[in-house]
Amino acid sequence: MNRVISPRLTKRSFLAGSAALGLGAGAARAEDMPAHERELYEAAKKEGELTWYSGQLQAEPGEAVGHAFSQAYPGIKVNVVRSTSQVAYQRLSQDMQAGVAQCDFFSSTDYGHYLFLKREGKLLPYRPHTMDDLIPEVRNADPDNMFQVLNIGLYLIATNTRKVQAADAPKSWKDLTDPKWLGQEAVGHPGYSGAVGVMAVTLQKLYGWDFFTKLEKNKPQVGRSADDPVTLLNAGERTVGMGVSLATTLLSMSRGNPLSIVYPTDGTLAVYCPSAIPKNAPHPNAAKLFMEFTAGQAYAKVVRNFFIMPLRTDVPPPDGALPFDKIKLISATPKEIEDGIPEVKEKWRDTFGV
Amino acid sequence: MTNEESFGRKRAFRLPEPATLVWIALTAVLLLLVAFPLAKLLLVSLHTRSGVFTFGNYLTAYGRARYVESLWNSLVLASETAAISVVFAVPMAWATSRTNMPGKTLVWVLVLGSFILPPYLGAIGWILLAGPNAGFINQAWRWVTGATDPLVNVYTFNGLAFVMAFQSFPLIFIFAKSALDLVSSEMEDAANILGAGTWTAMRKVTLPLVWPSILGGAIIVFLEAVALFGTPAIIGIPARINTATTQLWQFFEYPVRVEVAAAYAMPLLLITLLMVAVQRLMLRRKGFVAQTGKGGERRPIQFGPGRFALLGYCLLVGLLSVVLPVLVLGEASFARAWGRGLAFSNLTVDNYTFLIFRHETALSSIWNTLWFSGASASLAVVLALLVAYVVSRKLVRFASGLAFLAMAPFVIPGIVMAIGFYAAFAAPPFALYGTAAIIILAFCARFLPIAYANASSAMGTVHPEMEEAARILGSGRLGTIARITAPLLKRSLLGGWLIVFIVATRELSAAIFLVGPNTRTMAVLLYDLSEAGNFEVLSALGFILLAMTLVLVGFGIKLVGRDFMLRRA
Repeated sequence: MNRVISPRLTKRSFLAGSAALGLGAGAARAEDMPAHERELYEAAKKEGELTWYSGQLQAEPGEAVGHAFSQAYPGIKVNVVRSTSQVAYQRLSQDMQAGVAQCDFFSSTDYGHYLFLKREGKLLPYRPHTMDDLIPEVRNADPDNMFQVLNIGLYLIATNTRKVQAADAPKSWKDLTDPKWLGQEAVGHPGYSGAVGVMAVTLQKLYGWDFFTKLEKNKPQVGRSADDPVTLLNAGERTVGMGVSLATTLLSMSRGNPLSIVYPTDGTLAVYCPSAIPKNAPHPNAAKLFMEFTAGQAYAKVVRNFFIMPLRTDVPPPDGALPFDKIKLISATPKEIEDGIPEVKEKWRDTFGV
Repeated sequence: MTNEESFGRKRAFRLPEPATLVWIALTAVLLLLVAFPLAKLLLVSLHTRSGVFTFGNYLTAYGRARYVESLWNSLVLASETAAISVVFAVPMAWATSRTNMPGKTLVWVLVLGSFILPPYLGAIGWILLAGPNAGFINQAWRWVTGATDPLVNVYTFNGLAFVMAFQSFPLIFIFAKSALDLVSSEMEDAANILGAGTWTAMRKVTLPLVWPSILGGAIIVFLEAVALFGTPAIIGIPARINTATTQLWQFFEYPVRVEVAAAYAMPLLLITLLMVAVQRLMLRRKGFVAQTGKGGERRPIQFGPGRFALLGYCLLVGLLSVVLPVLVLGEASFARAWGRGLAFSNLTVDNYTFLIFRHETALSSIWNTLWFSGASASLAVVLALLVAYVVSRKLVRFASGLAFLAMAPFVIPGIVMAIGFYAAFAAPPFALYGTAAIIILAFCARFLPIAYANASSAMGTVHPEMEEAARILGSGRLGTIARITAPLLKRSLLGGWLIVFIVATRELSAAIFLVGPNTRTMAVLLYDLSEAGNFEVLSALGFILLAMTLVLVGFGIKLVGRDFMLRRA
């Protein structure tokens, strides 16, 4: 077994000490693995690789996760196919229509994808053994375990600290309709970003569509992704970003950009992001092992470095972020999201003109 | 005796000339690459998801004012882009070709620079320059004048048209300059003798002579602008302008409505037909024009101080179209944090080292880009040469049909083409989805018009006499092409190859729906990065792409000659 562990990894696991018991970063020695994990690993090694259609993580963290997985389980390569969630889903449905099996692990930010795939019987049920180590909100996403929520995207408000003093900054979503922000706000587009779609559905539930009609009077700049406003704030083109992702904003702040985050008093938007294994996955064991990995500590530690909130209670939040138990979360139910997104896309285009 | 025998056998079986088989194969390939995806698209547009014949998709596609308006926006935008491009390009072409303006090499470098700058990079550069609040130009304007309103705003209809014109004026420059280079000074002299000044001679004699070329270039710019996706998405959406291509993208949203998108795309194909007809009419007029490749003296028109004014205009266009956008992108690519602006402590090469040493797919995307582009360029040039040969020598009756097939992809928006290719080739029996082959074929089909235009005008320079001589001396059709025609055209074919290669390296819209796990290209990676709120790394990757392109252009200049990209073969 030792032959497959690279010297670098051996050194690292030596430094990490035996306390980690193979759960921490670095290669887990097969003999240290629990029986179910060892079995999966052996089967997965025969498959040699897996393909991950990912709309959840950006390219960088996505690749870091793939890398960490291959380090933990030598001999299994991860092909990360990064895109927006809609494109990832489009690819998957194109695959399915064409009768091509390419995808082993599908992660998007849109709950509707999974409800649909489940109804069509296109998913392979699986539940990682460590699911109960995650925060309670995600432990029972689907009663049939056709998919699991292994990621939560948090979306909130960001400001440019050079142009907006902390005291003047908006405190809530509601504050964004204040006319004093005329011409200063930036926001993504529900037609291009699943997260912005969920935001629109949730805020409509909270305040009615009237909220967006008022927001439009402030002439926010509409981009595509939820992260587009971050770029505009960095450049100083706009000063208040609506519905930006916590991770991207914190990353940008860590590079020295003049940004600050606001957890809205009326609730930080939580987007529950499921992952699933397609029924026709060409490498099902590698996919199951990957799902185990995603629910584990090593994954949480990797994504934390990219300012993504770990769902495990035993891994601290990223620098600059509050832990889950200090944040008021708001969200919409999967049903509301599935029904609501097509509706808010249309309304959005009527209200904002694009 | 043997002669008689074989003669008799030939008569009996009417064996076709081997070349004829090649033409049949060529037709089949073109049909497969161009007509088949389009036919599939047409079929899809006329059927419901479950395969029942319907016109309903057209009703859905054009049943809402917003959808129709998007198409209208595209047409107006493309016309404006073409008009602005003419204003940029024609004076530059005239000054470079006909006058004693100094600094022609510099102008040439600037035009080449705007030609090779990928449109989406230029668009991002212009957001940084002309954003109404933080754009450099507006900051400078406010600082100088104390004004509160911005001088320029990229997020407007005109802003979008200008940015698109900056990206596409080189096409008209190429067309206009190559035509102007052929007009002999004698015509202007005649006008001068009859009392016309320089200005009148240019307006009444020179320009009318090259008018068909200018209009031809403008039509190509128009069609390219209608089909552009990147810039309208990056600038148009914040400006709240829907265009046909961003509307098409919306039809591909979840739940994907390929059949509606197909229906929506059909009028764009009608516009192509219209434009081809217009061009045909113009070419017919061109027969009257006294343009010859040889003879006639060409002297630069002598200007006094006015020549510096001409240079100033050329430099201004070059500054706006390439120098400023590249400078701001360069600054971003070396910045730790874009928001901190110019400061020594903010400088870093980390964005580059990250991409080259630590990014898992940047290197493979660079490799993919290189070999997909190389393969598709080779394929396209070979196909184009053969088609151009058939067309120019009128070997078969439907030759003009072949020319149309070869030119048609030019106006099929990249995303439509990608979906057509997807519909046609992804599923069995081809089962090409996720392979390099589908991308290479799509790139080949998409850029065939460039290779074809190149090959066909090159073919025009080879008189059939030489081939006829070879054939009279006993060479077969294919032998003649291989030994006479191709060597004569070697340089222009290589030029065509490089142009296709360069445009393929930056192709986004056809790639984005066809890439699989192992086939991601740099353009797709750039697009992913453009949504990720990380302009610093995006700019660095953009610069790597630009550097690669420059190296290739350098090769081209070395091998084919300085003007290889800016000349109509």
